[in-house]
Amino acid sequence: MEKTRNTPALRTGLLDQLRTGNWVGYLTRYLIAGILIVFAVAPALWIVSASLNPAKSLVGGTLWPENPSFVNYRELVTNDFFPYLTWFGNSLKIATITTLCTVTITCLAGYSLSRFRFKGRRSFMIAILILNVFPAILGMVAIFTTIQQLGLYVDALGLDKHVSLILIYTAGSMGINVLMVKAYIDTIPVELDESALVDGASPWQTFRHIILPIMTPIVITIGVLTFIAAYGDFVIARVLLKSSDQLTVMVGLMLFQTDRFDQDFGMITAGAVLAAIPVILIYIPLQRFVIDGLTAGSVKG
Amino acid sequence: MRHINTQLSRYGYILNLGVIGVLLAGILRVVFQLYADGLYPLASALSAITVFLALVYLRRRFTPLRWFAIGVGLAMLFTLYPILYTFYLSVTNMGSGHLMTKQQAIDRLENQLYMPEGGKTYGWTAFRSPDEAYALWLLPEEGPGLLARPGEPLEEAMPGADGIGAPDQDGIPLTIDGYERLAQNQVVPIISALGAIDFGEPPDTVRIRSLREAVTLKPKYRYDPDRDAMVDQETGTVYRPVEGTFTSDDGETLTPGYIVYVGLHHFERFLGNERFREPLIRIFLWNVSFALASVFLSFAVGLVVTLLFEGLPGSRLIRALLIIPWPIPVLVSILIWRSMLNPDLGFVAPLLESLFGSSPAWFQNAMWTRVAVILVNVWLSYPYFYVISAGAIRSIPHEIYDAAVVDGASAWGKFQHITLPLLLRILMPLLIASFTFNFNNFNVIYIFNFGLPPMPNTIVPMGQTDILISFVYRLAFITSNVTDYGLAAAITVMLFLLISLMVVFQARFTNLFREAD
Repeated sequence: MEKTRNTPALRTGLLDQLRTGNWVGYLTRYLIAGILIVFAVAPALWIVSASLNPAKSLVGGTLWPENPSFVNYRELVTNDFFPYLTWFGNSLKIATITTLCTVTITCLAGYSLSRFRFKGRRSFMIAILILNVFPAILGMVAIFTTIQQLGLYVDALGLDKHVSLILIYTAGSMGINVLMVKAYIDTIPVELDESALVDGASPWQTFRHIILPIMTPIVITIGVLTFIAAYGDFVIARVLLKSSDQLTVMVGLMLFQTDRFDQDFGMITAGAVLAAIPVILIYIPLQRFVIDGLTAGSVKG
Repeated sequence: MRHINTQLSRYGYILNLGVIGVLLAGILRVVFQLYADGLYPLASALSAITVFLALVYLRRRFTPLRWFAIGVGLAMLFTLYPILYTFYLSVTNMGSGHLMTKQQAIDRLENQLYMPEGGKTYGWTAFRSPDEAYALWLLPEEGPGLLARPGEPLEEAMPGADGIGAPDQDGIPLTIDGYERLAQNQVVPIISALGAIDFGEPPDTVRIRSLREAVTLKPKYRYDPDRDAMVDQETGTVYRPVEGTFTSDDGETLTPGYIVYVGLHHFERFLGNERFREPLIRIFLWNVSFALASVFLSFAVGLVVTLLFEGLPGSRLIRALLIIPWPIPVLVSILIWRSMLNPDLGFVAPLLESLFGSSPAWFQNAMWTRVAVILVNVWLSYPYFYVISAGAIRSIPHEIYDAAVVDGASAWGKFQHITLPLLLRILMPLLIASFTFNFNNFNVIYIFNFGLPPMPNTIVPMGQTDILISFVYRLAFITSNVTDYGLAAAITVMLFLLISLMVVFQARFTNLFREAD
């Protein structure tokens, strides 16, 4: 990938404009930028402002509250109607365990697919690619009824159980991630493995001590993507979880908003802001890895 | 690497084998139970997974698969099986009233009890434990007293032994360990609760009939395998299976019903019936427009962000601000928009009213709801398109533009003839994937306005902004009294077919399987 910030095409384009003194074009671009910035920023700014507004009604209020306070946040964690902190904890727990499981499985699978040659290897990868085409959401009716049936025989795999949710997320996030890990390991020279094996290391030791340490970037990419996806999922959690204490923060927020929109608007906005914070905290330092993950296989190929 | 020994270490192998052994034993137990209850699809899926895992761990040539066999097993159960099971569901009547297999329904019906006229009767005394569990001391007309607890066999017990206290003059123990004896006046207020409890265990189940009398219950229905029918033991009525429901000659039905094969019934329902097909086609057309508009507009805005501010002083700040929507979780973003556009709470309505004198009904008017969901979706997704097109542009070689400059191309000309076509070619797979994603973008549609406003005069509830997948959700999970998994699955099957078509289309543009090398 080229290092220059300005793409050549546009640098010249801009120079053309400046040379011909095209100030109209210049202004137009700032104008468009201004409109887009309002479009992009206003909703985010507004929700933060609303969450800091102690007044119950916002109509006619200024964009920034006159006397900002955290009273909505305090009410959110102490109120008797909705166990927000429990939801928050559930989401963090589910997303973290899903991430650990997914990273473990994909790293092992990726190593095996990259380094070993076995019958069915290519068909296996094609199967992953085909399955990956169908959005997981299409299976919701089938997943719901399957989990309902399984729950009759295995308690932990029933409806309203976090274990079932974690296993479904793990299974769902495996596919394309396995191929990403495999593609990453493909770029690591095989000679590294071979020298370790010649020195008498087992494949497991080779993987554990030679390959795994240099896989950090892809591990972070997959970890971040999996965490964000599991944390942000709405529909599977909505379909499977029932009791208030078991809900994830996304499902809880949605029910909260539907049920008590008018009464607790301040609390709901505070809940929305809090719910966004874990993902934002992950994005800011690790954005590069997210971008790598999302563009993998398209631009590079 | 063909020649290397692909074994896990001995320690790892033993650990693996132990885990797998326990896992397989567990799965097999469930398989047998599922099979006994007639849940054949799930039983077969779990059997297939068992066979796969056993093969991998017993046959040496599958050694490389040992590294991730459990992951594959999970994917088989929760990714592959749901797809196949959806096809199965689409040809069954599964839905409210028909949620179990025939065997499960028969078991459930055979557990229903009734009080026969000439049944065996007892005198009774109630006992209560501190955690509100009840027990009865039963006195038959002759013979020793019996201790009866729910779900446990009746117990012949002698007062004065085994934690049972000394008898009073009627032979009823004064105390039972862990229980408190209830006097008549304590029983009266709770008699209806007591009367609902079945004491003992089938076939010796006892229920209270009056303040004095308890009576042995009998199963109300018996399954007669020869006639394949349920027989009412009280009245002798015969209920024969009709489309998954045991039905008498008079048309009386027993609940629960059970799951049966109905062939292409569901497909006929929506393809063969004008009043169903017509609104479904409307949903489909909106679904396609929604996905197209979302991809096109998000991509356009993303391109503007990528290209238009290049070289503009302050462009880094502009882009930093424009990427703000990206890290906000989708559900939170949609909730923000929903609140913002809410006429009572948001700032958009007062703003528009002061500017134009009126504000659209974002949640009641179908056209404006459509505008809103597309707007929200663009807000959510243009940063992604910005990121991918920025990446793609960097991969366009410099020299192409040099040649264009020599030929005297304008900035717009260069964009039109070089940048855009090349970008489209590089990004086509992502654009198609994005179309597929938005075609099934349940979150935006459902969270923003639940697919509402409702469509008038439809046979099953439909929303005017429903897309196919949110309609499926509506059928399966919202319309509580008439959930219809079979129909929902049939619509999902149509979705699977549509997406397969898109994949075929995508395969024409790209080497879909190039990553599988």
